Amino acid sequence: MNQSHAVYSKQARLVRALIWLLVSFFCVLMVFPILYIILGSFKTNQELLVGGTSLLPSTWVLDNYTQAWKQANFATYTLNSIFLALGVMALSVLTSTMTGYVFSRKDFRGKKLLYSLFIAFMFINVGSISLRPLFELAVALKLNKSLFSVIFISAGTGQATYIFLAKGFTDSLPRELDEAARIDGCSFFQIYRLIIAPLLKPVIATIALLSFRQGWNEYILPLVFTMTNDKMRPLTVGVNMLKNAGDGTAAWNIMFAGATIAIVPMLLVYAFFSRYFMGGMASGAVKG
Amino acid sequence: MDVKTNKVRPRRHNQEMLPTSLMLLPSTLLLIVCSIYPFVWIFRYVCYNYNGFTATYTGTKNLERLVKDKQFWQSVGTTFEYAGLKLLFIIPLALLLAVMLHMRMKGHNLQRGILFMPTVIATSISGMIFAFIFATQNGILNAILQNLHLIKTPVKWLTSTDYVMAAVTILAVWGGLGNYMLYFITGLDGVSEDCYESAKIDGANGFKTFFFVTLPMLAPVLKTVLMLAITSAFKDYEAIMVLSKGGPGNRSMVMFLYIYNTIFGTANSSTQPQIGYGALLSVAAALIVGCVTVIYLFVSRKLDHITE
Repeated sequence: MNQSHAVYSKQARLVRALIWLLVSFFCVLMVFPILYIILGSFKTNQELLVGGTSLLPSTWVLDNYTQAWKQANFATYTLNSIFLALGVMALSVLTSTMTGYVFSRKDFRGKKLLYSLFIAFMFINVGSISLRPLFELAVALKLNKSLFSVIFISAGTGQATYIFLAKGFTDSLPRELDEAARIDGCSFFQIYRLIIAPLLKPVIATIALLSFRQGWNEYILPLVFTMTNDKMRPLTVGVNMLKNAGDGTAAWNIMFAGATIAIVPMLLVYAFFSRYFMGGMASGAVKG
Repeated sequence: MDVKTNKVRPRRHNQEMLPTSLMLLPSTLLLIVCSIYPFVWIFRYVCYNYNGFTATYTGTKNLERLVKDKQFWQSVGTTFEYAGLKLLFIIPLALLLAVMLHMRMKGHNLQRGILFMPTVIATSISGMIFAFIFATQNGILNAILQNLHLIKTPVKWLTSTDYVMAAVTILAVWGGLGNYMLYFITGLDGVSEDCYESAKIDGANGFKTFFFVTLPMLAPVLKTVLMLAITSAFKDYEAIMVLSKGGPGNRSMVMFLYIYNTIFGTANSSTQPQIGYGALLSVAAALIVGCVTVIYLFVSRKLDHITE
């Protein structure tokens, strides 16, 4: 934008136009699969099974959604997804801001050790095997009958990044604020609750969005935890179960509708808060 | 901190131990339960045959099996192939798009937003979307390619060993491009305008500016991004699990997917879970990823010395 006043030669202008077209072409490629699935969810199953090159449905039908909602349990899946995403979000925001605040403002014995443990386990990744002991633990604690165990584990495996974001932001707040609050008689926790937490709003927004996405998009973790329990499945698992359910091609329309239900809420959240998403990703990369 | 706070600290230290530990408790507990405990647990079973109910000690049998397990080593090879293909396309493309967006032409914010969009979608769902797109008979990709007369007969994207890696790579690039592009844009924002200004005065054209100004100035960011890209490419398996299930004939079976199948079984088979052996495989896989990371760090440090 700030270059709009610059003067370009004819040749440079042509090059810029070509580059602009190239970027736009990539945008089309990137958005194509998303449009295909969303628009496809309004096609009849007949049309989907025949195929063809048209993105737009020849006749628009809503029947796929009513079918998915009624026959395929999508109402339950959707509620589960919302519960899971909100749970991970709430827990992540709470633990990361508190921990970030303590790491930023306090010196205590073992601080370095604890801090390096958080970092180390961000990089040590043993893959899906870790779900096995956690599942056994959940069964032993009788937590496997609800999604709470999934929320705890999801928040636990993702928290390190959020803690660093929160600590980095708290570090940038002047310590004079703490001192002043302390003189006014605030305790350590009260400083966090009354002074620091409200100032953390921008970073809380970022953490909330990233962890919401994490919870909403979680797949293998809930897949393992809901192996035998259809009632607990979130959308990601539910939709894919449909795909594996044997008759393959038969229910394309329901799967299209299901996939759309699984991505549209996330896309809407992104459309409204894209700034925070991208800001969070960028600052996470710079610090990591 | 200054002297005054230092003097006061010992007293406060004791007073505030309780609130401090209470505030650290939730995240520390999650760390112990979700990360440390499973990590330790694995080593308990590496020498056992464990199917989820009974565990019997088998000594070095798992290790012997690992050495002879052709399928596993094949999946390690596939992982390297997949990571190589993904990086080969995603890094140059992301860099190119970042540089082009950095020219800040009309609508660049919208373009950036659209290019980043696929990264907010669940990989499991995008795997499914691409399974529809790549479908041989009624998939839209084959229909478009046939309409453009680029192909005569439908390509078996997911059912032929020749094309499945291409399909998997396309999905990986589509799903990850926005992330890396954004990292590069952040890096480019950090490069001072003065550098471009002086390059312009010296008469450098676009290509020269890119290779002699932008790229060297981006080197530190590029190093970090490559590191992230490598480690995450080796760990990918969720999208492949949905898109091709590792098939056809294990052609797209990456090691973490193979491990998942060993531990939890595949959807349609009745094989018993082999958790002890899976634990050993996990350790092996983590070591492989660790080695690759260390080698990368070593090489990139060496390169630093040369360029200096």
